[in-house]
Amino acid sequence: MAVIEVENLRYRYPRQERLALDGITFTVEPGEFIGVIGPNLAGKSTLCQALVGLVPHFYKGAIGGQVRVAGLDVHRSTVAEVSRRAGLVFQNPFTQISGAKLTVYEEVAFGLEHAGVPREEMRRRIDEALRLLGLEAVKDQSPFALSGGQMQRLAIASVLAMEPEVLILDEPTSQLDPAGTEEVFEAVTALCRRGMAVVMAEHKVDRLAEHADRILVLHQGRQIAYGPPRQVFARENVAALGVAVPAVTQAAKALGWVLEDGTYPVTLAEAVAVGQARRGGR
Amino acid sequence: MRLSLYVPGDTWVHRLDPMTKLLMTVVGIGLTFLLPSLQGGTLLLVLLLAVLGSAGVLHRAAAVYVGVAIVAGTFLVVQGLVYPGNAVPALTLGPIVFYREGLLVGLRLALRLYNILSATLILVLVTHPSDLVEAVVRRGASPRLGYVIMAVLQVIPTMMATASTIMDAQRSRGLETEGSLWVRLKAFVPVMGPLVTGSLIATEERALALEVRGFSGEGRPTFLKEEVIPPYATAARLVTVAALAAGIAGRWLLGW
Repeated sequence: MAVIEVENLRYRYPRQERLALDGITFTVEPGEFIGVIGPNLAGKSTLCQALVGLVPHFYKGAIGGQVRVAGLDVHRSTVAEVSRRAGLVFQNPFTQISGAKLTVYEEVAFGLEHAGVPREEMRRRIDEALRLLGLEAVKDQSPFALSGGQMQRLAIASVLAMEPEVLILDEPTSQLDPAGTEEVFEAVTALCRRGMAVVMAEHKVDRLAEHADRILVLHQGRQIAYGPPRQVFARENVAALGVAVPAVTQAAKALGWVLEDGTYPVTLAEAVAVGQARRGGR
Repeated sequence: MRLSLYVPGDTWVHRLDPMTKLLMTVVGIGLTFLLPSLQGGTLLLVLLLAVLGSAGVLHRAAAVYVGVAIVAGTFLVVQGLVYPGNAVPALTLGPIVFYREGLLVGLRLALRLYNILSATLILVLVTHPSDLVEAVVRRGASPRLGYVIMAVLQVIPTMMATASTIMDAQRSRGLETEGSLWVRLKAFVPVMGPLVTGSLIATEERALALEVRGFSGEGRPTFLKEEVIPPYATAARLVTVAALAAGIAGRWLLGW
């Protein structure tokens, strides 16, 4: 059963004429990793915020359609209610640190304290979140003393400790170096394997192509495509609209390297397999 | 860099719970006004210094005392010269005459200043701000108020680091930030503009991040740390209240 159901979602920010989201429809199953891509102003961040209710509860504006996350009608629930079932990680790791806690361990406890979680349960969840995100070694450090990658993992750990059914990430690696980016993707993929549904808006399409089960393509607030990476990146209209396509796919298209199902490789491993098959066939 | 003046330690004062130390501070300030006499003020200062000394923070307190010495000195000079009740000359420096009555009034004011300061330092030097805020929230204060206090203490140093980065960036674009007052004033806007704008944007992002972590949820919070109140805290509170009672009795019954 789908843990996220979005149907004909339309949204306009206050004092704006253009729709920021226009007719978005998709579903996500537990354990699925969904990548959301598109050029700037495509509506990626707005969609992420709509999934936890910040749109429209925080930003106001006009909204239509339906968003159900983990059984909750997001439009009719408060952000605090949704936050217990769906966590959102933003792109700037620095501004996600509460600023009120002295250690990494206490920072993860911040949301749990406000949710009224009993102390023993709180400690269990914090230990689990720190272990999953590989932050045990820095648990006594100040959150502000962490590297960018560690800080972003702390933001994810803080959300994870709330034990949401859905994790939404809005360009979580945009300010991270390659090592930090890899840390975040590895952590998120591990969470998917544990059955958590993940929606990640991201510009790094090469990484998404490797990890995501499905890709949602947005352009000027409209949904252009939604499906497995190979099908989505094979579509000509995706690249034509200025949406980034994995470098491997671009190279495969230029070389005419096609997979057996008629699509182009989207990961390096797939491209290597096609290359080896072509060499063997000669 | 940190804004808190807290000095870590493991003395009996450090181990006291924040509410007891808050009581000691409030009573200390109250006694300052209850005991206006020179003798009463001196006795109170000795007691407060004894508490600070046993907490091992006198060296940090001394730095604060030196900092306000100029204010205390001003009390002595001004009152010694112009107190309306001045009659008996005590010290003559050329044409300047300091009077005994004024100097005594100045001394009492200076004592009052140091007593208030010393009482406050029990809280500031020996109690971590987060422990104090948490103790107050546990007793019903708004978690939002607690958050604001802690966040300000934590975020100001990082804002200063951001200001330094902006200053470097503007300098690298040729902005002069050193030199005459006029040069510094001209540099103020290009530095403060990005700092304020950036802070406003960061504030909105942080507000959103707090919102999705359930900060605005209803109901009382729970706490990660257990509140530890040492067995002798009750005795410390009783002694503190007894000191207040003694001060009141001394003031009204014995005319201290």
